[in-house]
Amino acid sequence: MNPLLTFVVILIGFYGLSTSTNIIKSVFCVTIIESGVILLFLNLGNLDGGVIPVIGDTLPVGGIADPLPQALMITTIVIGSTVTALALMLCIKVFHHYGTVEWAEILSRESGK
Amino acid sequence: MGNLDMLSLTAYALQVLLIIMAVSIVVHKNNGTIIILITTFSLITASLYVINKAPDVAIAEVAIGSAIIPLIYVISISRQREFIVLDKAMDDFIIADNAFTGVGYVLLKRFTDFYHLELNICNDVRLCSLGAGRDQLLCEQTNVDLIVSKDDERNVYVLKGKASSILTYKLEAMARDYDNIEVVKFKDRDFGD
Repeated sequence: MNPLLTFVVILIGFYGLSTSTNIIKSVFCVTIIESGVILLFLNLGNLDGGVIPVIGDTLPVGGIADPLPQALMITTIVIGSTVTALALMLCIKVFHHYGTVEWAEILSRESGK
Repeated sequence: MGNLDMLSLTAYALQVLLIIMAVSIVVHKNNGTIIILITTFSLITASLYVINKAPDVAIAEVAIGSAIIPLIYVISISRQREFIVLDKAMDDFIIADNAFTGVGYVLLKRFTDFYHLELNICNDVRLCSLGAGRDQLLCEQTNVDLIVSKDDERNVYVLKGKASSILTYKLEAMARDYDNIEVVKFKDRDFGD
């Protein structure tokens, strides 16, 4: 695992967010960024020689992976799914108001008002 | 030791695959295909979580990222292309001879097919019983895109839509050929309250 490759995924997400012409496409890119951030956090918590943080009576010899980022990232996944649902709901509302989900058309209608 | 090398090699391969997936999601144009790609993306990230000693996160990702999120996308993309018409006239404008052969239906069908929308005609009794003065409120408060009603004095069918919607202007251009159809646009008010 290389943290730099994970960072590349986040950057690809930002690139897509800044170049996408469609609202739904932007929501897809937010999902990509979210997955990249989760992967980065887990990679930082994965210490050398550690094992899965399930402990019995004695601590494993090589140590364990940090369980705190893992607990936080489960929360991130759940919240990320609700954020996606909310964004898509707003996208449907925008379609019924403007008749389109293309950023350029919506912005031109807003500025031409 | 050889086992460990195998694991890191797999991790690198999956990460490269993840980057390819992310690029293909960003580059692809068709939203339906992107849903499949994002499911694959989620499954690859889930296996990377397992490699990062976090099986609990991987379970959550498989359940939510590759089952619920594609479901949400499929539902919203199919709903989003809907063009909802409220039929207040209830005569042969839409339904003639017990089939969708009325003049208005043919026009609306031609319009929605041209812009790749899905036509959805409803005549909910409670919504239809509201007076004509409430039409603008109805259009703003619900997802109704177009209201069909009949002006008996002039014998003209009135199609009412939002002035903010680009589709209303396109429908107006398409309905110009018909003498007995008139398109009325509601003035814009603040959106979202």
